[in-house]
Amino acid sequence: MSQFRGKTAIVGIGQTPYYKRGASPDPELKLALRAIVAACEDAGIDPRDVDGFVSYASERNDAQKLVSALGTREVRFASLAWVHGGGIPGALGIAASAIIAGQAEIVAVYRSMAESSHQRLRVAVAQNDTAAQYLVNGLESPAQILALRAQRMLEADGVPHAAMRAMAKAAYYHARNNPRAYGRNTVLDDETYDNARLIAEPYNLFDCSRENDGACAILVVSAARARNLAKTPAYILATPMGMLAGGGALEENIKPYGGAGQIGVARRLWAESGYGPKDVNVLQVYQNMTMMGIGSLIDHGFCTPETAGEILQFENLIAPHGKLPMNTSGGDLAEGFIHGMGLVAEAVRQLRGESCNQVPGAKLSLMTGGPGDTMSSTGLFGTFETL
Amino acid sequence: MEYSFEQAKIIGGIGADDEYWRSLSRGEFRLSRCAVCKGWMWPAHFRCAQCGAWELEWVEVEPRGTVFTWTRSWYAFDRVKERAEDVPYVTALVELAHAGGARVLGMFEGPDEVIRIGAPVRGEIRPPTAKSKNYPSIVWVPDPAVARAPWGGAAP
Ligand SMILES: [Zn+2]
Repeated sequence: MSQFRGKTAIVGIGQTPYYKRGASPDPELKLALRAIVAACEDAGIDPRDVDGFVSYASERNDAQKLVSALGTREVRFASLAWVHGGGIPGALGIAASAIIAGQAEIVAVYRSMAESSHQRLRVAVAQNDTAAQYLVNGLESPAQILALRAQRMLEADGVPHAAMRAMAKAAYYHARNNPRAYGRNTVLDDETYDNARLIAEPYNLFDCSRENDGACAILVVSAARARNLAKTPAYILATPMGMLAGGGALEENIKPYGGAGQIGVARRLWAESGYGPKDVNVLQVYQNMTMMGIGSLIDHGFCTPETAGEILQFENLIAPHGKLPMNTSGGDLAEGFIHGMGLVAEAVRQLRGESCNQVPGAKLSLMTGGPGDTMSSTGLFGTFETL
Repeated sequence: MEYSFEQAKIIGGIGADDEYWRSLSRGEFRLSRCAVCKGWMWPAHFRCAQCGAWELEWVEVEPRGTVFTWTRSWYAFDRVKERAEDVPYVTALVELAHAGGARVLGMFEGPDEVIRIGAPVRGEIRPPTAKSKNYPSIVWVPDPAVARAPWGGAAP
């Protein structure tokens, strides 16, 4: 087990509403401020005391733009985790590391996106770094590129299509109980899923994450400070980021090809935390696309391509009594998509007992980072008794 | 002014594959390998991790292989909207066993029932068009030389 384990905790969460992409009344910077201030109010922390700022991917609202509105006394630490949604737990790890190293005391980790003040979200998310091989051959969106991966997992690895449908249905089922969820009014049954408009085979509309305007922030502090704050701390047990040999920006030449590119980080997650897949009570699985969520579950050891059909059945995936309750807010597919950051907030709510689809007595809460990039990260959070 | 893909150059990814596109525009299908240890390297990169050499060579290879995976796009996304009139269209990732297992993307043209993992295909080099972002491209078509229907699971 690591020196990192349980030394820090998430003590505040703040979210703006999810708006239709391009429909936010506020620009990105104001959304970021609202989310950070809301996280401070949740934690009972003065926004002026936040001294660290961390984000990931193509976040543009860096500390320089935030401080004069927050009244920040001093910025002591600021950083950005590389890649896309794959960097989310990694960003938490950067924040925790800064605190453990004494570089900062209260670190905000946040993501803010608004199409009106920037560009098409999926283009912004791609960071204008798409190799010619893709664009020349009609591939632009992650939906299309990850469809290649999904087709291989279906046709060659033997993951059944029904598992994708179950993942989508579980997300939409949970969204029904979530007043924040953008997809809360959609009843997704088998027929609706099976007849949905195709996007890039094998993905249809319901396999793909939403694109929303909005912002989400969380606050990380030391475990010692966390114990004196308002809310039940969600201790950070492990947040490994990285990739194995065979991965990289290889234009579909990665090895292994199926899965989510998280085999290495998952192995480190279990080693660093001292827990395994059987110990986890609730999962927030980043799903840009359903099959990539399945890839994360395979890489983390929750199932194999051979057992995916049997394990990933709708009844198993839903709170409160499923064996593998996941995406209990509706997740990227049905709650909304602020580049996956909403999953962190939900992972924390489960440990506080505040989820609208609460898993009774949840103590260990997993949040997997964005799959598909071969560099990714994953995070495990726990209550005090898991330390 | 003579054509060069560089007039429409797309910046992204590793970016060591200019010679691939230059070769295609001359009607040649070339893939990269290390000039010293001869190890295949695809996509092209700036250094051979096996022997440390910095030099690549571009070898003409037969554009023939099997479908490794594929997708059929039903929506013309923003940055490839030039293909809107072709929706739905199929993109294939093709594995070339004789080039170190390199997997090369290309459009697929052929009957729907042919596009399966393992299906044998050969590449045809096509000139630059707006649809291919003014790059020359390789298009994968069913390979009659090894054709035996149905394709399912019977690929070489
Ligand atoms: Zn070499």
